[in-house]
Amino acid sequence: MPRLAPQAISLALLVPILLLLIFFFLFPLAYLLHLSALAQQPTLQNPLPELSFVNYAKILQDSFYLSMSLNSVLVGLSTTFLTVAIAYPVAFYITRISGWERTLISVACLLPIFVNVIVSILGWYILLLPFGVVQQALAGLGIVSGPLQLLRTFPALVAVLVYEHLPFAVLILVSSLQAIPADKINAARVLGAGVPRIVFSLIIPLTMPGLVACVILVFSLSASSYLAPILIGGQRTPVLPLAIFSYGTELQNWPLAAALSFVLLVLVVTISYGFASAMNRIAKRGQWEFV
Amino acid sequence: MVGLRIFVYAVIALMLLPVLITFPVALTATSRISFPPAGLSLRWFASILTDQVLLQSIARSFWLALTVAVLSIAIALPCAFAAQRGRVRYRNVLETLITSPRMIPQIVLVLALLVYFEPIGLAQKFAGLVIAHLVVTIPFAFRTLLVSVATLDRRLEASSNVLGATPLQTFRLIVLPQLKTGMIASFIFTFILSFNNVTLALFLSGIGQRTLPVEMFTRMNVAGMTPVIPAISFVLSVLGVMLFVVLDRTIGVYRFLAARE
Repeated sequence: MPRLAPQAISLALLVPILLLLIFFFLFPLAYLLHLSALAQQPTLQNPLPELSFVNYAKILQDSFYLSMSLNSVLVGLSTTFLTVAIAYPVAFYITRISGWERTLISVACLLPIFVNVIVSILGWYILLLPFGVVQQALAGLGIVSGPLQLLRTFPALVAVLVYEHLPFAVLILVSSLQAIPADKINAARVLGAGVPRIVFSLIIPLTMPGLVACVILVFSLSASSYLAPILIGGQRTPVLPLAIFSYGTELQNWPLAAALSFVLLVLVVTISYGFASAMNRIAKRGQWEFV
Repeated sequence: MVGLRIFVYAVIALMLLPVLITFPVALTATSRISFPPAGLSLRWFASILTDQVLLQSIARSFWLALTVAVLSIAIALPCAFAAQRGRVRYRNVLETLITSPRMIPQIVLVLALLVYFEPIGLAQKFAGLVIAHLVVTIPFAFRTLLVSVATLDRRLEASSNVLGATPLQTFRLIVLPQLKTGMIASFIFTFILSFNNVTLALFLSGIGQRTLPVEMFTRMNVAGMTPVIPAISFVLSVLGVMLFVVLDRTIGVYRFLAARE
């Protein structure tokens, strides 16, 4: 290998990836955007239908699509909140242990990355079935009697999504917690800070960048997920990805599916970056020090 | 700390429960999904081996994941070298472009690919599926390999050059062995990502060309599901856990997964 590859060689090394991303990532997205602004599906007889915003108008005027968008946002926000609330203590615990205990806890927490998501959804499906495991357990404890509707509910959907996304949150938070210098914690302890003080005015502010990254990732993944909503949530909690799938494949109304995709994309991006910049503003005010 | 430990172990029990529950359910002797299982038998594990449709989908998923993992490394490794060592202008733009497919919701990305592939005849073709998977897996392969390339010991290459090795010899004998761990890690990771992916194949695999996850999804969603699905789920989970433990005890799972962020 030459020690310093000249620019021509670098460019040559980049050709395959650039071709792939230009032709199979940027062009398709641009085409989708174009498609979303077509009045009707292009056909052989009419390959270039007129441009219009009829699809977007339809989505914005129909209360069904509005409630779908609202559902997506609500599902995303609840999932994100619960995931971070559970992942943070777990990640903290992982950074304090080693050896086989660490492997065991990591296997359990990162399992959904290594095991197919369909498998874990199936597991939840079995647990939540009418007269299934959860209901039997609750009945055994005398908490409920009679049939219980668990599948096809909002809490069940959020529970499965939290399960699916916990690994990503744990991963980010573990690396961010590991980066805290032990000196700072020791210094705080020597100066007489108690555990709550250390956690709230040292550890949480120092891991803020990780927390923000975690919130953005979990929100964008869960608000746009499709499998858990169709298999666990069902039509009781309609979310945007369900409509995108049915218009994209079964009903073959691509312009409307494309418009719904961009509504989803704009929602996810706006909320994620809105949150990130809000957090940045708080940090700039000096309440938190980003290290 | 005791309270924290109880909390963490409760979370772990909840994480393991959905995966473990597939085992007793698959042991049933009847063809209904129920817990506790009615009767005990291994017939549903045996029926994995006689279910031709399922076996074909397993083979298809395996070849797909293998192709994607090999191609991801072949495309991402040169790119990692160029980004790390070359005097590439706009390096930030390049890295943003390469990692940006992760930012787009997969359902949006796959719809874009479906409408783009349909006129050029790539929809519902194996090649189309490989391309779609590559767009999603390359960011991860790139991140992992970039870290490996950055930690190469440049003095070894310099010595090799001084001692008269050709650039090719240096690459094969000095650079590649150092990259081995990173390449194995990114191979395993992209293989898992591709083997487990559902959304892309759901849109892009044709009828009768389903990958394993799509076959499982379809049986759960549309047709009546027999306990063969919990059985194959349990087998997949055991394989996944084994792979994980091997990775964690050799490379360190956090070290190699954290390279993504």
